[in-house]
Amino acid sequence: MAYGVAMALAVGLGLPIAVLAAATAQGKAAAAGMESIARQPEAFADIRQVLLISLAFIESLVIYALLMFLLLMGKLPAVVVQ
Amino acid sequence: MGEEHVATIFNAIRAIPGFQHINPGVPASWFVIIALGVVCALGTRRMQRVPSGLQNLVEWAYESLASFIERLMPEGGRRWTPFLGTLFLYILVMNVLGVIPGFVSPTANLNMTLSLALVVFLTTHVVGVAHHGGIGYLKNLAGEPLILAPLMLPVHLITELARPVSLSVRLFCNIFGEDKVVGSLIMIGALIFNAAHYTLPLPLQLPIVLLAIFTGFVQALVFLMLSASYIAGAIEGGH
Repeated sequence: MAYGVAMALAVGLGLPIAVLAAATAQGKAAAAGMESIARQPEAFADIRQVLLISLAFIESLVIYALLMFLLLMGKLPAVVVQ
Repeated sequence: MGEEHVATIFNAIRAIPGFQHINPGVPASWFVIIALGVVCALGTRRMQRVPSGLQNLVEWAYESLASFIERLMPEGGRRWTPFLGTLFLYILVMNVLGVIPGFVSPTANLNMTLSLALVVFLTTHVVGVAHHGGIGYLKNLAGEPLILAPLMLPVHLITELARPVSLSVRLFCNIFGEDKVVGSLIMIGALIFNAAHYTLPLPLQLPIVLLAIFTGFVQALVFLMLSASYIAGAIEGGH
């Protein structure tokens, strides 16, 4: 029973924790990007490219957590109603 | 992610003996290949100096891709336009195909994205070895101060091995996850009035479908940018 509880908590909480960290990091990256665009508007294309790559790298970490979620979702023990 | 019987327009292929358990994404990818090939063939026949119509569209697409890739890869970028541009268009159309009812995204399958990532992986290493020679390429992997080679070489090797994994998993999970979200919203929208015994399904999934189209475009763009930077890194080799 403890295994089921632990598994359910892991499945439920793993992805949101990853999302928390990634949202913070992406917010910082986007803020830095916007600030640099404001300082130098003619470099917009280069900054946009680096910003998108950085956001995609951070997002891919959340996607790994989503992959774990998808793998574990089928392994949850069945609910027994007593 | 078990065996799911997806109803697509290509299910008729299952009638052919030998094709019975084919994944629905595989004939969808054939469809994308044939459709892109037909559009490009029609756009480049009887080419005129001042383009119009389909030739204009094809030339605009090629020129945008060529200039974008040229900015990504400072040396010899335009030469890579056929390979990287085809990769981008193929992935883009495959990602967006799932939005159309009756079709399924081939990239919602890890096999498809892994094969695309492996193509890029092999390209980077073959190009790197061809450019620098075998020993030179290993020296690039070892890093700048040669004393640190026993430390840097495993780090760089693991980085190189992690790249196809991250490319494939990123593309697969983004598209597959979006498909699942849209599917769940369709189910919620269909069942939302069930408690009141109405059978009026609401199209709750429409905003998320727009987001899925946008995600498909962004993921194709990210795949292109990362592949271009990996290939450029293998060519110039400086760390």
